[in-house]
Amino acid sequence: MENEQVLLEVKGLQKFFPIRKGFWQRVVGQVRAVDGIDFHVYKGETFGIVGESGCGKTTASRCIVRALQPTAGEIRFRTDDGAMIDIANLSRDELQPLRRQMQMIFQDPFSSLNPRMTLFDIIGEPLLVNGMANRGQRIERVEELLGLVGLRPEFLQRFPHAFSGGQRQRIGIARALALNPSLIVADEPVSALDVSVQAQILNLLLELQGRLGLTYLFVAHDLSVVKHICDRVAVMYVGRVVETAATQQLFESPQHPYTEALLSAVPQPDPSLRSQRIILEGEVADPADPPSGCYFHPRCRYAVDLCREQTPELEEVAPGHAVSCHRALELDLSGTLDAPVPQAMHS
Amino acid sequence: MQNEHQPVLSVRNLKTNFFTDEGVVRAVDGASFDVHLGRTLGIVGESGCGKSVTALSILRIVPRPGRIVEGEILLRQETESGQSQEVALNSLGENSREMRSIRGAEIALVFQEPMTSLSPVHTIGNQIIGAARLHRQLSKQEARELVVELLGLVGIPRAETAVDSYPMQLSGGMRQRALIALALSCDPRILIADEPTTALDVTTQAQILDLLRSLQEQKGMAIMLITHDMGVIAEMADQVVVMYLGRVVEEGPVDTVFGESKHPYTQSLLRSIPSIHSTPKVQLPTITGTIPHPYNRPAGCPFHPRCPDVIPGVCDKHEPELHSVGDEHQVSCFLYHPVPETSP
Repeated sequence: MENEQVLLEVKGLQKFFPIRKGFWQRVVGQVRAVDGIDFHVYKGETFGIVGESGCGKTTASRCIVRALQPTAGEIRFRTDDGAMIDIANLSRDELQPLRRQMQMIFQDPFSSLNPRMTLFDIIGEPLLVNGMANRGQRIERVEELLGLVGLRPEFLQRFPHAFSGGQRQRIGIARALALNPSLIVADEPVSALDVSVQAQILNLLLELQGRLGLTYLFVAHDLSVVKHICDRVAVMYVGRVVETAATQQLFESPQHPYTEALLSAVPQPDPSLRSQRIILEGEVADPADPPSGCYFHPRCRYAVDLCREQTPELEEVAPGHAVSCHRALELDLSGTLDAPVPQAMHS
Repeated sequence: MQNEHQPVLSVRNLKTNFFTDEGVVRAVDGASFDVHLGRTLGIVGESGCGKSVTALSILRIVPRPGRIVEGEILLRQETESGQSQEVALNSLGENSREMRSIRGAEIALVFQEPMTSLSPVHTIGNQIIGAARLHRQLSKQEARELVVELLGLVGIPRAETAVDSYPMQLSGGMRQRALIALALSCDPRILIADEPTTALDVTTQAQILDLLRSLQEQKGMAIMLITHDMGVIAEMADQVVVMYLGRVVEEGPVDTVFGESKHPYTQSLLRSIPSIHSTPKVQLPTITGTIPHPYNRPAGCPFHPRCPDVIPGVCDKHEPELHSVGDEHQVSCFLYHPVPETSP
């Protein structure tokens, strides 16, 4: 990356949800949804957070846009005037001017748009809320945004039900872009779409990034999509980051056994690659009652006594490549790029 | 012993329509394929391509206002004398005794949603015992033993206690395993799995696919795997059927369909998937436009408005049919077979 300016820095972020029981709703435990994560996002890059359901990736992204109040930790965000501000504990009023600099794209284009509002109302609402009172100006801006995401300006007065899933996702993207944000948090933006439409939206996201210099925080479970779009990736497991690295490096030489298993589990659209998959035993640990030591040890085929007793820290093993595994340096794990490159598909 | 080359299930020119107030939806429009014992047939397509309705049609559980309007569904059965005979499922009554004895016992279905297809108020054990005792002469005790064995077979830990748990006490992957155990309880010869792993995480998906493969090896059943995920198809299927808007556009052995796909739809679909091996950050080749709404189905070849190789005056007027283009490889596209002289 040419411009190594940090746009977002997350330090020790925690979000616990209380478990309440009984008539008095006493707090009997905590779900440690996000349990101390650190990462940073450079300006203009796409940073991916991957993991399986329940790993805390969505909770983390919601804390970053302050849709949730984090339990602990710092979220330092570079505002448009260049200052780094910790937004983890700002009040509602203090957040207000910052909100327009970070916007969200949601997963489900069917439930994230109000069916009773026209496209003009949906995309124009953030403009209205942020002080663009002149209707003519708003119409102009909304038309411009529709063009930007590849929709025709005539659609202005239509309702969301008239659009397909892919088009609705474009509407959601236009709404997110309305206020010229610097950071876009995209939570599984393509997982609800059909394969042929998914490619269109991914292309649009890449194109917009090139044109507007956007920074994406891309939350996803689909590793092929992450590989395609992200510059750097963090892999989460039960509320913690287990590995973070540049995308190519992570896929070529994963250092954490969970990353290795995750990569090998992805079915590839090529029958000649029916690989020797690593089938993980058991299930994802319960974030309300995590195992001792390394959370992954009950399912890890390389686990030793140390893994049961001591929690590993996220440590850098190579420049820009951090792993939280006691055995990271001694293990020789296989990535996905060792497999032969398929000839047939991209010829 | 059944002839190995004879399909256990043949679907011929199946057409299932939905007669709604807004018009007729041709959900399945002339699908033909064969299912063989011990092999996996993959049916792949995007939403609205009719893959799930095909499964419902085979089991004769198409919900109203849908109806099978044409075609044959032939199930090969063995008579007591050891001869094989074909039963046309399409001619049986939906609630006839024969159909009810086939449904569940000979052809079983695993649904997509492990969260919603089990009853929340009955234990896993009772649900499977109920199904098993419907089709087999078993005492309660025998049925319970069978269920414990099945739950163990599908990899549910501590099967003796899991029998008495409710679905909500199990995770998504475990519920999907319980559903598979339910489907296996009557030893079906054909297992239809409709998006069995779509609701699951990748590592759980790998577990379930592995389970299906090993069960097939043990029991020699035929699997019909319905999914939208080309990766799952490549991993599991022996034979592949690609569907688009109710029609089979391409059909063939898995290596052929992925390696030498002929239909423009299959080709562009494969190209548009980001792969772990493809170059990152480049624009993906896409299919222009979106899947048409079933009410506004295009005339001629349903794919022609989005097709890069469309032949004007031909593809928008005539409907292509499946033609052989190689060993067991069939394509329905005018690029590969002559245009009919007279309009139909």
